[in-house]
Amino acid sequence: MATDTDSRVIEGFGQVSRTVGTLFRYLLLASTLFGIVMLGVLLLYVANDAIQPLTADPGWHLTFLCTFVLPSLAVGGYLYRRNRPAFRLGGSLVGALAVSLMFAGGASIVFVDILDPMVWFSYVVGFALAGLGVLAIERRSHSIPFSVRFVAAIAVVGVSLLVVPNLLIDLPYALIGWAVIAYTVGGVVAAALGRYVYRSRGPRKAIVAAGGVLLAVAALALAGPLVGVDPLPASIVAAVSLVPVCSYAGVAAFDRPKARVGLVFAAVVVGGAFLGAAVADLAGFAGPESWVNWSFLTNAHSGTAADAGLYPAIGGSILLMVTVAALSFPLGVGAAVYLEEYAPDNRFTRFIDINISNLAGVPSVVYGLLGLGVFVTYAGRAMGTVLVGGATLSLLILPIVIISSREAIRSVPEEMRQASYGMGATRWQTVKNVVLPRAFPGIMTGTILALGRAIGETAPLIMIGAPNVAFSLPTELTSKVSAMPLQVYAWAGLFASEEFYRQAVPAGVVVLLVVLLSMNSVAIVLRNRYEDGN
Amino acid sequence: MSTDDINDDLTRRTENAPQELLTRAFFFLCAALSVVTTVSIVVLLVTEAAKFFSITAPLMDVTGATASLVDFLTGTNWIINNEQFGVLALVSVTVLITFGSAVIALPLGVATAIYLSEYASSRARGVLKPALEVLAGVPTVVYGFFALVYITPALEVFLPSIGTFNLLSASIVVGVMIIPMVASISEDAMSAVPEDLRQAGYGMGATKFDVSTGIVVPAALSGIFSSFILALSRAIGETMAVTIAAGAQARFLNPIGVGRIAGIPVPYPDLSVYLEGGLPMTAAMVNLLTGDITGGGLAYRSLFAIGLVLFVITLVMNIISDIVAQRYREEY
Repeated sequence: MATDTDSRVIEGFGQVSRTVGTLFRYLLLASTLFGIVMLGVLLLYVANDAIQPLTADPGWHLTFLCTFVLPSLAVGGYLYRRNRPAFRLGGSLVGALAVSLMFAGGASIVFVDILDPMVWFSYVVGFALAGLGVLAIERRSHSIPFSVRFVAAIAVVGVSLLVVPNLLIDLPYALIGWAVIAYTVGGVVAAALGRYVYRSRGPRKAIVAAGGVLLAVAALALAGPLVGVDPLPASIVAAVSLVPVCSYAGVAAFDRPKARVGLVFAAVVVGGAFLGAAVADLAGFAGPESWVNWSFLTNAHSGTAADAGLYPAIGGSILLMVTVAALSFPLGVGAAVYLEEYAPDNRFTRFIDINISNLAGVPSVVYGLLGLGVFVTYAGRAMGTVLVGGATLSLLILPIVIISSREAIRSVPEEMRQASYGMGATRWQTVKNVVLPRAFPGIMTGTILALGRAIGETAPLIMIGAPNVAFSLPTELTSKVSAMPLQVYAWAGLFASEEFYRQAVPAGVVVLLVVLLSMNSVAIVLRNRYEDGN
Repeated sequence: MSTDDINDDLTRRTENAPQELLTRAFFFLCAALSVVTTVSIVVLLVTEAAKFFSITAPLMDVTGATASLVDFLTGTNWIINNEQFGVLALVSVTVLITFGSAVIALPLGVATAIYLSEYASSRARGVLKPALEVLAGVPTVVYGFFALVYITPALEVFLPSIGTFNLLSASIVVGVMIIPMVASISEDAMSAVPEDLRQAGYGMGATKFDVSTGIVVPAALSGIFSSFILALSRAIGETMAVTIAAGAQARFLNPIGVGRIAGIPVPYPDLSVYLEGGLPMTAAMVNLLTGDITGGGLAYRSLFAIGLVLFVITLVMNIISDIVAQRYREEY
């Protein structure tokens, strides 16, 4: 027997075919690329239909090639080869500017049409007072027993949230919208920058930096009307996007001398885009007849594809996202903390475990049925409201949030927990001070990805009776809401016509994909930084 | 004994301090919410479906129109206005689309997993894995639009008889959509195969091809199968892409044609059904709600009956996938 095998092996020895291996390898690569290339081609098609770059003047293309594409490529390529940190700094500045501008656009929709800035202000003050009150009580934690502290904290929170906002709203004078944004959002940016500067350069410079931020936001808000932007959106764009990005650039310029050159890269990209636009405008070159244009983003639905817009759906998606985040983040992280840090290894825990992985596999229509049956039919809520839609989508993404948060919590080294227990910390103190801060970037990554999934979902919203076509923005949690994918479905399915297929739907798809892809890339960048950090 | 006394003096039991109990209770409630969700899904689907069937409706104190359970499970006509509820018309289309997407996604997914785990450099992996994540992250309504507006016209060049709404384009996009799922779970299973096994293979003079196909894939087989089942269950539950691409006309599609060779009937797979449109289960549910149904009526309850069938199928598949992954896992 043994000799038989031996002789066979020896006969075949040395006859290894390289061709098979090479062929196999390329076959695998081709299969890997199949889906990616196919999606890429489809994306090109839809982008071509939506933006129609070929309708632009050749001069327009030439202008942008010379002012924007070539300089960016040249500077970027040089830095990529010679000075990688500078390239990264420049790239992340441009990315941060793009993403934060989009975020500012969303925030502008919220503050202009949904939430009165004064209401926002009163609740911000209420929450701030509640937070300060609780902090003050916590400070005295050694002298007062826990139950007293707990009741006092609840009382403070209740008073600040129930009484303070109403008092503020009823005040005889009203603050102007843009000033409210400058105080609240700009204040956060100022505090963050001030804290950073305080640590590296001391209190005097920190006050200067924080004051500078507030002044810059106010100045930009006042300068808005000069370029045709209302002060309120201008203040939002300044406070959410321009000022923070510029502060980041400034801090990087001072603190990272080696990467400082990266600012040039960012300046070339941004400046090139503006220069190109200015030159094309002066020379009278017509840009592409894009369907994704200002009127598409700010109009409501219309029977004719050329006039149809996405505005109510964008606002609806934003409100849904806020609701879903507010519901699923605490619940999902709470469940993950319980399963990783508290749960005893018994049958019930294993049941929850299996149950969560099965819930992740339940089709989204079934979650829609759950929302329809429980929230609408049994709880008697109105169909298709922000609250019902948000709750349904939260249940849908909860398993995903839990699973990814568990992974993030599990990656916190066991030694850190043991060290914390060794210092005499209780379990909650360990969770609060060691586990959660350490796992936070991972939890955020998972939550952002899950939110992306929620934004792209259509079926559950149809099931709970959200209107396919909404003509106005939802203004409160109980008003009917549409969403971007739902609007796209309505155009592709209910208004099916060649006109909509070629104009409104591609434009809607491009907007939806730009939002989703930028969310995904934020999550991926966050994850990469976090993995580098570990 | 004496050390215990000292311990009691020095330590305070913090496990039952009010703060600890409170936080612990909150976290427990969060985790228990998932159980509540499952229970409410099951209870809701079962009670509403029970009101739908004439056998169980009296138990639920429901009067009015009901449907026969036997007709529901064996009927092949789904015509709501005639109160004909034969779920097989919907199931046949769902099965066809799932099969079609499996033909695309399973081989490609496994090949992707082998490439990523065995062949790709870490740099290539760094590019390919996020790209695959994008594939899974594109909303399904967008895939449906792609199938209807770009893929079907492209297919029409080769298959002139294809309908505007057809199962083929729906299968293709659903297949592309589930590739990342097959790939990522299979790749995890392949990466878990210990390096020693591979090195042993190389030591025996095996080529990389031999090691990949002869050692890694068999060792990871349980993970690969569980990824297949999960991906298929995802394909069954897929909604918007098939709603847009496959059409809205409910009919029973029979993929088994009967030919005659010398007068003897011989069954053969009739692939021409893929060129026609049909109404899968999920799309039927969406159509029921986009049309105007009266709350509480028979059509409304049929929604939950389909939902129950869908839920049971996907749940069983998920559980099978779990069992396969657990029981047949090679322990190293």
